[in-house]
Amino acid sequence: MIDSSGTAAVRTDDLWKVYPQEPAPVQAVRGLTLEIEHGDFVAMAGPSGSGKTTVLNLIGGLTRPTRGRVWIGGQELGSLDDKKLARLRLERIGFVFQAYNLLPVLSAFENAEFTLLLRGVPHEERRARVEALFKEIGLEGLEDRRPSKLSGGQQQRVAVARAVVGEPALVLADEPTANLDSTTSAALLEVMERLNHEHRTTFVFSTHDPRVMERAHRLIRLVDGRIDEDRRVEPAVPAR
Amino acid sequence: MRTAALLRLSLRSVGRNARRSALTAAAMALGLALLMFSRALAEGGHEQWIDSAVRLGLGHVAVQAPGFLENGRLEDRLDEDRVTRVEDALAGLDGGALVVSWAPRLSTSGLASSAASALPVRIEGVDPEREQAFSTLPDQRVQGRYLEPGDRLQAFVGIELARRLEIEVGGRFVLTAQTASGQVEGQLVRVAGIFRTGIQEMDEGLVHVPLSTARSWLGTPGAATTVALLLTSSRHTDAVVAELDRSLDGAAGIRVLGWREASPELDSAVRIDDYGDYVFHGILFAIVALAILNAIMMSVLSRKREFGILQALGLTRAETGLVVFGEGLFLTAASGIAGGVLGFVATWLFFRDGLDFSGLMENTITLSGGIIDPVIVPVFRIDQVVLSLWSITVIGTLASLYPALRASRLDAAEAMKFEQ
Repeated sequence: MIDSSGTAAVRTDDLWKVYPQEPAPVQAVRGLTLEIEHGDFVAMAGPSGSGKTTVLNLIGGLTRPTRGRVWIGGQELGSLDDKKLARLRLERIGFVFQAYNLLPVLSAFENAEFTLLLRGVPHEERRARVEALFKEIGLEGLEDRRPSKLSGGQQQRVAVARAVVGEPALVLADEPTANLDSTTSAALLEVMERLNHEHRTTFVFSTHDPRVMERAHRLIRLVDGRIDEDRRVEPAVPAR
Repeated sequence: MRTAALLRLSLRSVGRNARRSALTAAAMALGLALLMFSRALAEGGHEQWIDSAVRLGLGHVAVQAPGFLENGRLEDRLDEDRVTRVEDALAGLDGGALVVSWAPRLSTSGLASSAASALPVRIEGVDPEREQAFSTLPDQRVQGRYLEPGDRLQAFVGIELARRLEIEVGGRFVLTAQTASGQVEGQLVRVAGIFRTGIQEMDEGLVHVPLSTARSWLGTPGAATTVALLLTSSRHTDAVVAELDRSLDGAAGIRVLGWREASPELDSAVRIDDYGDYVFHGILFAIVALAILNAIMMSVLSRKREFGILQALGLTRAETGLVVFGEGLFLTAASGIAGGVLGFVATWLFFRDGLDFSGLMENTITLSGGIIDPVIVPVFRIDQVVLSLWSITVIGTLASLYPALRASRLDAAEAMKFEQ
C-alpha cells in the first residue's frame, strides 16, 4: 500500500542498486517498493547477501540508488545535494551499526552528544539531554570512558544514545544485536522499544536475530534484493 | 560550533596513534630546525664574505663619479665641491646610526720603481685615521706599521710587491702616475709597513699613501675617487643608498652604488650560494612533505570506516575532508613550534661562537676581493625565520590536502564495509 500523501516515514519506489562488478554486475536491490509508517517498528530479515544493509544505506542516503526513488518524511532524497542530504541525516535519521562504530577518540558522553554539537545545540541543553538519556539506558557513570574501555553492550547502548539523542524521526539499525549476548540484546531492545513507544520514533532493523523479529510490529523478508514476504506481526514480546 | 567540533575531532585523532604522530612531527621539526640552522649558517657566511670584501674594497656603499667603477681613471673623480657635498649628505643622514665609518679615497693606476724593478700598481691615497676604522688592511700588517695621521711620504705596500722591488721597511721607491694635468710625475715614498692579505692582486699591486700626499702629488686638492661607507650590516645597503640618493638629489657627477653593484662578482657568489641552498631546502621540504603525506594517508586508509560513520552522522563529504585536513594542520603547527624552538636553541647553544672549518681550509681562500674566514658564525634574520616557518606551514598544508581530498571522496556506504 503506497501512501499517496507522501508523508510516510519512509517510502521507496522501484528501488534498484546495482554494483558494477566483474564478471557480472551484482544486483543488490531489485525493484524494491515499500512504505513504512511513522512510529513503526520494522524488522527486515533475510539471508546474508539478500540486500538488507544496502536497503538501509539507500534509505539513509548513504548511497545513491541506481534507479528508483526514496522519500524520508515526504522529502525525496534524489533531489538533495550532498550538503542537504547530510543535513537531513543529521536532523532526521539516527544510525545504529552492528560494529557499534563509536568514534574512538571521543568519550562515551562526547560520542552521544556529537550530533547535537553538529546541530549547534547549546552546551547546557546537550548536557541535560545526554545525561537524561544515559540515565534512562543505564550508562550513568560511564560518561568519561573511551569506547575501548566499554563492553560491547555498553558501546552499543552509547551508539543507540547517539542515534536517538537528537530525537530523529527515523532510526536505521543494521544488525544492532549481532555482537551482543542475549541479556544485553534484550536490554537494548527494550530501550529501543521504549523510545519507539514514548517518542513514536520509527525503527527499521536489518537482522538475523529472532529476538529482534519477535518484538517487531512488521516483518519484511528479503531474498535476492526483492521483498519475499511483508506482513504485520503481533510482537511476541510485548513492549514494557 | 560545528567547525570547533570537527577540529576537536582532528586534534584528538592526531593523538590517537601517538607514536606515528610523534615520529611524523619529529621529522618535520627536525627538518625545520635543520632549515633554520642552514639558513642561519648561510646568512652568517654571506655576511662574513661581504664584510671581508667590503672592508678590503669599496665598502657597503660607494659614492663615486660616473665612469670610475668601469674605468678606474683619475679623471673620473669627485672634485672638492662634490666631496664636500657628499660629506654634508653623510653628516645629515637620518640613517647615520647604520654607518659605522666612511673613508675618502683617491685612487689611480701607476708604476712602482726601485733599483731592482718597476711594476704596475694601484695607488690609493687614504685618510689613515678613517681607514683604520674602516679597512682590515691595517690588520694584515706583517712588518713595520700602518700609515698614521701626519705621515707625508710613507707608504704601506703588499709583501709580494716589496719582495719584487727588493725593498724593506724604511726603504725608498718611486711612484709614478699621470696627474690631473696630464703630466706624468713621480713621488718618492718610504716603506712604513708591509701587509699580506693572501689576495694575490693586493699583495702584488696595492700601495696605500696618505690622502694629502696623493692629492698634492696628483694635483687634485680636496678630491676623491671614492667615498666608501661601512654599514652595521649589508642588509641596510639599499636603505642607505636610497637615502643618500634622495639627500644628494640627483647631483650631477655623483653616483651612489651599493655593494652588489660595486662588486658584481661577490653579488653573483652570494646568489649562487643561495640558489644551492634553495635546492637543498627543496629536497628537504620534499622529504618532509612525503613524511606528512605518508603519515596522514596511513591514517586515512586505516580509518575509512570512521569517515563513513561521520558521513552517516551528518557530516558532508567536505567536512569529512576538513577533519583530515585539520589533523595535518595540527601536526604542522606542533612541528613548527617544536622545530622553531629546536632550531633556535640548538643553534644558539652549540654554534653561537661559530663553526670552525679551518680543518677543511689549508690555505687562505679569497672571494671577490675578500678573505673567507674559516669560522662561520650563524646569523638569525627574522625574515628568514619567518620564511622558514611559513615554508613548513605551506608544505604541511599542501601535504594534508591530498589525504583530505581522498577522505572527502569516500563513499559512505563503501567506507563502512571497510574492516578496521
